[in-house]
Amino acid sequence: MTIFGLGPHGERASPPERVTLLPQDITAARAKKLRVAIVMHTLESDWARHVVQGIIGTLGECGAIVIDVVDCNFSSKAQIDALDRLRGDNPDAIISLPVNNTAVTNAHLAVSGAGIKLVLIDNAPTGMLPGKDYVSLVSADNFGLGEIAAELLSAGLPQGASAGMLAYDSDFFATNEREIAFSRWMEINRPDVAVKTARFSTIDSAGNEAVQLISDHSEILGLFVVWDTPCVKVISAVSKRNPDMPITTVDLGQEMTESLAKGVPVIGIAGQRPFQQGEAVAHTTITALLDRPCPDWIALPGLTVSRSNVVESYQAIWRKAVSRHILVQLKVLSNK
Amino acid sequence: MNTDKSAPKRQRRKGRQRNSEAATASLVAILNHVRLSEATTRHELERVSEYGRAIIADRLAILSELVLVSESETGVATGGRAPRLVQFTKDRARLVVVTLDQSAIGVGLADLQGKLIMEHHEAINIANQTLTADRVCTLINWLMTRQPKIPNLWGISISVPGPVLTDPNIPFLLETPNFLPNWDNSGFVEALMQRFKVPVWMHSNVETMTMGELNGGAGIGQQTMLFIKVGQRIGAGLVSNGKPYHGAAGAVGLIGQLPVTSDDTTGSLDAMAGASMIKAKGIKAAQSGESAYLAELLEREKNITAVEVCQAAQMGDSVSTEIVVQSGRLIGGVVATLANMLNPQLIVFAGSIAQTNDILLASIRETVYGASHPLVTRDLRILRSQMGNSAALLGAAGIAVSALFEPVFLKDWILLGTPTQHPDFVYGLETLNSITRQADDEAQAPPSS
Repeated sequence: MTIFGLGPHGERASPPERVTLLPQDITAARAKKLRVAIVMHTLESDWARHVVQGIIGTLGECGAIVIDVVDCNFSSKAQIDALDRLRGDNPDAIISLPVNNTAVTNAHLAVSGAGIKLVLIDNAPTGMLPGKDYVSLVSADNFGLGEIAAELLSAGLPQGASAGMLAYDSDFFATNEREIAFSRWMEINRPDVAVKTARFSTIDSAGNEAVQLISDHSEILGLFVVWDTPCVKVISAVSKRNPDMPITTVDLGQEMTESLAKGVPVIGIAGQRPFQQGEAVAHTTITALLDRPCPDWIALPGLTVSRSNVVESYQAIWRKAVSRHILVQLKVLSNK
Repeated sequence: MNTDKSAPKRQRRKGRQRNSEAATASLVAILNHVRLSEATTRHELERVSEYGRAIIADRLAILSELVLVSESETGVATGGRAPRLVQFTKDRARLVVVTLDQSAIGVGLADLQGKLIMEHHEAINIANQTLTADRVCTLINWLMTRQPKIPNLWGISISVPGPVLTDPNIPFLLETPNFLPNWDNSGFVEALMQRFKVPVWMHSNVETMTMGELNGGAGIGQQTMLFIKVGQRIGAGLVSNGKPYHGAAGAVGLIGQLPVTSDDTTGSLDAMAGASMIKAKGIKAAQSGESAYLAELLEREKNITAVEVCQAAQMGDSVSTEIVVQSGRLIGGVVATLANMLNPQLIVFAGSIAQTNDILLASIRETVYGASHPLVTRDLRILRSQMGNSAALLGAAGIAVSALFEPVFLKDWILLGTPTQHPDFVYGLETLNSITRQADDEAQAPPSS
C-alpha cells in the first residue's frame, strides 16, 4: 500500500490493518452494549452513503447500536446543533465528518471534552489534535487522489494546453490535498500545462464557476473537479458549450460511471474506497472504545479508474454489478 | 503582494497636538498589554500600565487608527454601564510559517496571536534545495490565495532541521544562516524576503517544536519540560521556568552527537539509534529473509523506510520490534542522564519515528525509569507528542509573534502601522535588491576583452 500524502499534522499514514478487530475484540465490544452516533456533511452523495453503510454494518457486527445518522447538508450550524444535541444523548462515541475548518471546531471539542470518543472522517479542523481532541482521522489518500486525477487528465491534454481546476472554497483537508496534489503533479510532469483555478462555495455554483473559468481562459482544454457531486453540475453546464472537453474527478458515483463508460466527457476517476473506509472508521471506533491506542491518521489508497477498468472498479467500490446498459456500452455484452 | 490596504491613512484630529514620538513607548506598552490579554478594558489598562485615563484614551485612538486594536465589543457589566472591550486585532495581518524536515515540508498561516489558521504538509526530499525552495514559494502563494480577505503578510518564520546559529540581538534575518550542509549559499532567506517583502526568521526544528509543544501541546502550563525529537537526527529542547532555554549560542540539545555503545560498536546516538539505523537494519532483515514481513514489503515497495519498520513493529513483526526496542534503549539511556540532571516534570517525544510507534516509547520509558533516581521519576510523565509537525509550525508562529512585538523592534514600526515599513527592514531589502541588480547586470555584461 503506497500512500503519497501526509496527515493534517504531517503524520505518516497507518494502514487500516492497524485497527483490525480479532474475534475476542468483537466479543468484548458486544459485551459493552455500545451506542454510537454518526454526523455526516451530507448523505446525498454516493460516497457518503457507502461510508455510512460500511460503518453501520461493521458496528452491527460488533453489537454497537447506531443511535442517529445526521445529514448536515454542508451547514456548519446544522453540524453544531447536531453535535450539541447528540452530546445530550451521551453516546459512547460520535463519528463525524467536520464540514469546515474553523466554525465547527468548538462543537467538536465539546464532544471530546464531554468524554465521548470522537472519530473524524476526512477532515481535522486546525488546532484539534489526535489522541487529545479526537481519536483518529480516517481518510482516503487525498493527495494521491489528486495525483491520479492529474495523470488521467494529462492523457487528454495536448501540448501547451491549460487545465482548469474547480476547487472547493471551504478550507477542508481532503479537497485542499487534492487541489495541491493536482497542481504539483502537473508542475512536475507536465510543465507545458498551466493550471487555472476557480473555486465554488456551493455544489450548485460549481457549474457557473466552470463556465466562467472557461470563458476567461479559452486555452483550457480539460477540467478537474475535486469531487463527483459538483462534477455533475460542471458537466451539465459545460456540455452546452463544449461537450467533448475531457474531465476527471474524484469518486466513482453513478453519473460518473455512466459518463466514463460512454467515454466523454469524463475520461478518468480517482476512486475512493468508501465502504472500506467506513469499515476502517468503525474498527477505529471500536478499538478506541476498548481503550486501545489508535494511529493518528489511517489512510486508504486511491484507485485509478479509466474506461478500461470501470466495471471491476465499480464492483469493488459499489459492491454490486454494473447495470446491463453500461456493459452494452462497453461492448462487454451485445445489445440484443 | 504586501499592499497593506487595511491600514487607513492617519488623520490629525482637532485639539491638543500629539507628540507621536514621545507617545511611542506608551503605545508599545499598551499594545502589548492588550495583545497579551493583561488588560481587556480601559480601566484595566490604566491599572496595569499605570498611565492616566487621558493617555490611555489618546493611545487607544492611535492604535485603533492603525487597526491594531478594536473597541467594538462590550464586556460584562459589573454594575453600571458595560465596559467596552479593548481587543488586539489578531487578523490585521497573517504570518506564514514553514517547517523543513529531512523528508517533508509543512507550511501554514497563523494570525498575529500565533494561532494556526491552516496548514499543509507533504513529502519531499529537502536534499534538493532548489526544488524545495520553489515548492515552499508555491505553497506560500497557495496559502495567500486562500485568505483573500486578509492579504497582508507580516513575516515568514521557518523551522529547519539542525541548529541555526544567529546573533540573538538582530530582529530578523538579512541572509541565510548555515543550517544544513547542502543549503549553504542557497539564498533561501534572501529569496523569500525579496519575493514576499517581509521579514524572515529561522530557528531549529527542536527549538520551534519545543515552543509549539509548550504553547499548544502537552507542555501547556509546564515549568520544566524536556522535548526530544527522534528522526534521522535526535535532538532535545529544554523548557526551564516555563520558558524555552536557548543556550549560549542557540545550539542547545545536540544530544545526537553523544557517543553510545551497542553490541560492541560505538557511535553517535544519531547513527546508532536514529531513523537511518532503523532503516538500514530493516532493509538488512528484509534482504536476509530474517523478517518475512519486511521481505514482502521490500519486494512490493522496492524500498523500506524507518517509518515502515516502526509500523511493522506495531503490526507485530518480531524482528522489527527488536530493532525498534534496541533504538529505544539507546535513546532512553541518554534521556535518563538528562532527566537525572534536569529533573523535568514532563518529557515529550516527537518526530516521525516516535509518532508512528508506541513500542519505541515503551522501550524508552522502561530505560528511563530503570536508570533514574526515584525522586526524578516520582512525578515524571513521558509522553508522545500529539502535535506532529504542527508543533514546528505553531512554535515558528510563536517565535515570529515574539519578534514582531518585541518592544525595541515594535517601537520603530508601530507608528508606521506595519513591520514591513520598519526602517531597518526597508533598508535591508533595498540593499538586497541593489546587490541582486548588480549581480544581474554583471551576469549580462559582455565579457571584457
